[in-house]
Amino acid sequence: MSNLRIVNLTKRFDDVVAVDKINLDVAEAEFVTLLGPSGCGKTTTLRTVAGFYQSDEGEIWFGDRLMNNVPPNKRLASMCFQSYALFPHMNVLENISFGLRMRKVPLAEQKKRISEVVSMVDLEGLEKRKPGQLSGGQQQRVALARAIVTQPDILLFDEPLSNLDAKLRVQVRVEIREMQKRLGITTIYVTHDQDEALAISDRIVVMNQGCIEQIGDPHSIYLHPQTSFVAGFIGLANIFEGRVVSKDNNRLVVDAPFGRISILDEDSLAATGGIIRFSWRPEDMVVSSPDAPNAIQATILHSIFMGRATDLFIDAAGQRMRAVTGNATKYEDGSAIVLGIDEKSIRILRQ
Amino acid sequence: MAITNPSVATLAVPLHVLQARRIRRFYIMLTVFFVVVQLVWIGTPILMAVLWSLVNPDYPWSFPNLFPTHLAPAPWIYVFKYTNIIRALKTSYSVAPFAVALSFLFSLPTAYVLGRKNIPGKKIFNLIVLLPIIMPGMVVALFLSRVFTALHLSQTFFGLVLAHTLMGLPYMIRVLTTSFQTIPQDVIDAAENLGAGTFVKIRDVFLPMVRPGLLAGMIFAFTTSIEEFNLTFVIGTPTFETIPTILYSFMGYNFIRTNAAVVALVMMTPNIIMLFIVERFLKSDYLSASLGKM
Amino acid sequence: MKDDSITPIHYVMLLPGVGFIILFLGSSIFLTVAQSFGLFSITGHSRFTLDNWKVIAAQESLDSVFFSLKMGILSSIGTVLFTFPVALFLRKGGAGKGFLGSLIKIPLFIPALVAAFLIVNLISYHGIVNELLMKLGLLKEPLRMLNDKFGWGVIVIQIWKNLPFVLLILMASLASVRDDTVDAARNLGAGTWQVLFKIYIPLTMPGILVSMILMFIKAFGDFPITSIAGPPYPSSIAFRMHATATLYQEWDQAAVLGVIIIGSALFVIWAYSRLADLVKGGE
Repeated sequence: MSNLRIVNLTKRFDDVVAVDKINLDVAEAEFVTLLGPSGCGKTTTLRTVAGFYQSDEGEIWFGDRLMNNVPPNKRLASMCFQSYALFPHMNVLENISFGLRMRKVPLAEQKKRISEVVSMVDLEGLEKRKPGQLSGGQQQRVALARAIVTQPDILLFDEPLSNLDAKLRVQVRVEIREMQKRLGITTIYVTHDQDEALAISDRIVVMNQGCIEQIGDPHSIYLHPQTSFVAGFIGLANIFEGRVVSKDNNRLVVDAPFGRISILDEDSLAATGGIIRFSWRPEDMVVSSPDAPNAIQATILHSIFMGRATDLFIDAAGQRMRAVTGNATKYEDGSAIVLGIDEKSIRILRQ
Repeated sequence: MAITNPSVATLAVPLHVLQARRIRRFYIMLTVFFVVVQLVWIGTPILMAVLWSLVNPDYPWSFPNLFPTHLAPAPWIYVFKYTNIIRALKTSYSVAPFAVALSFLFSLPTAYVLGRKNIPGKKIFNLIVLLPIIMPGMVVALFLSRVFTALHLSQTFFGLVLAHTLMGLPYMIRVLTTSFQTIPQDVIDAAENLGAGTFVKIRDVFLPMVRPGLLAGMIFAFTTSIEEFNLTFVIGTPTFETIPTILYSFMGYNFIRTNAAVVALVMMTPNIIMLFIVERFLKSDYLSASLGKM
Repeated sequence: MKDDSITPIHYVMLLPGVGFIILFLGSSIFLTVAQSFGLFSITGHSRFTLDNWKVIAAQESLDSVFFSLKMGILSSIGTVLFTFPVALFLRKGGAGKGFLGSLIKIPLFIPALVAAFLIVNLISYHGIVNELLMKLGLLKEPLRMLNDKFGWGVIVIQIWKNLPFVLLILMASLASVRDDTVDAARNLGAGTWQVLFKIYIPLTMPGILVSMILMFIKAFGDFPITSIAGPPYPSSIAFRMHATATLYQEWDQAAVLGVIIIGSALFVIWAYSRLADLVKGGE
């Protein structure tokens, strides 16, 4: 087991910069997720850690060993592929034992590890089957077993669940996380699914166009997004710009396109007269009255009843917004509504 | 943004970057090496043939000269004037188109069934289709000639065409089968849904969609016919001579190297032109895919 | 839903293609087998007999059979050995590889006989290869590479001519090996040789098999190339068969040789398949 340090990593493909000066420290036994849309550089970063790409600039350290010149087959960074990449001509047992055979682990030790791992992922009885005779979920578990049986320094996951159906995805991601906790292997997990990331990570690295937007634990990422990309990518967000009219201690009064609003600026990010960008989550809006603080008068454009909540598309002074309320009121399209937002729930964004 | 000081930068190039560059250079050199080897491997035989075809008969090229001392088009004139090469050319290039046309006509319905229908015994039929390629040529040729003699087809133009068709069918059928297989059922259904009858389906859906495969199959069948030796040798000679049989005769007892060189080049050139056509206008993955599917 | 109904019409549609082949190929093979047993003899005296089969015992026949076997096995193994590394190299595209690919494919379009002549030219006793080697001082005497007792001339021609054909098949086979699979193997610790023997070769076995079978049959049953570039004795079995029929007019005996050739072809197909299963199963 070791920790992982990525220092100033840059990777170019022709004239496209896929990864641009990425810095990341992953502690031992930590579960870090690289999250972002396609093309953000998360898979490139993962594959560079695995050794399939040579970095153009920057360094990769496993513990105190510089790995830049170590070929992929000499790195102990077992990977779980999106397509599982099982060896079609070998059965389950041979697939799982492959890494052990390559690293010349003694047979007795091989047997022990394999039987442990097979029961851990619940593949007993299927050892002699070939990948073509397994279901998607079973194949995924073989891929997982094959990676962890080698007891790697780093465990890498490349969107391992995208080929599973939704229900299975939710179940398996928890199993992966629990297994990782038990084994204590440093893990990097790549996904574009924010629910997945929020559910199982110790820390999330939100990436966009080759750069890191924000690193933080799931709570910070969700509740305190620092950039409009993060605010918009994770969950829903209403994002606006406005000028700071006054500042009293940390209470800002901001002139927004839909009216005046007060925001609590705990980190003192703004100054009077400046333009700031801010956002809040639709679910933080509550039905309010016109004389309450931060009341926004709006017209309901469209309401969608989802059972435990109602999704409201509203228009406030010409600005489109979204709100999610927890009550079961039936709303009429075109009717008026007053919603309020707590000044503490509004986030100031950096860009 | 890091400020780069040029002199400091060169000193500070990390080892792993240098090693990465070295590996890249190695791969480039390997490619160049392969290309050079290939140029020699392919080019030298062809070059030698060209040189031999231009040897001046008054200055025979022999040991110890590494190259002929005088070049002259004399061998070409000789071969075209005094041998049957023109007749052989005519025969080769008139049998081939007929053989290709027949192959195409016979293959079309068969390839349709093999490509789109789950007929029982399909595996066996697919094997039978490949038999002409698998069966050793001279055996088939020798005893087919007996069959032809009994049918009065021996030493006839039609017999030759039939024989060449037999050899072209496997390629044509395999390629067309693959083409038919890849037509999505949806397209056919859409055509029917919009009112297309059988004839329209054939003309406007099937034929256009198998065209790339058809072209590949035609080229295979054409070159197979031009190169066909065993069957022509047994069934056609001596009434008919094709380029391969005439080349063979030049390499037997009366081995005149210069004449053989000329005939070899005459035989080779149209084929190389066809190679460039194939590479340019057909996806060569298609070629390998259809061959690979065998 | 695909309309999978089979009607008699479909069988009729098979007739032109498959029927044609069965008719002409079938009658030829049938005649070969029949005449070897003395039936349908051209002499008119047809009767079932095993007498013709005594021709195998003749020393010349045995020598021819072994010679042709040698040609077949060495050509098929040699070509695949040469071609596989090239196919691996060309697997990933890159600058210059397109040109290289086209260059390599040229012999595909050169007819076998022309190829024979081109190489004969090169390796003949006073050919350019010998001249060059002697000029460079590497040889005192020219090497006999053509019409030599062993048959190296023939093998070289077979490899030169068939390399691109085998290359196409192997490249198609290699294309079916997914990059992911290779990456996974390396990720788990497989070095270059291990990736070759545990991943590439087992997964391309079908392609290797087809290439070896086709090449064996071509080389084993070859007529023109061996008669041009092969040793004066023994002749290839196909040549012997042809001479027995047309020169000595012993068609029935020739038929026996024909059956041997066909039989060997079938046997080799079977043997190579068993071998492939062994390699695959050994994983």
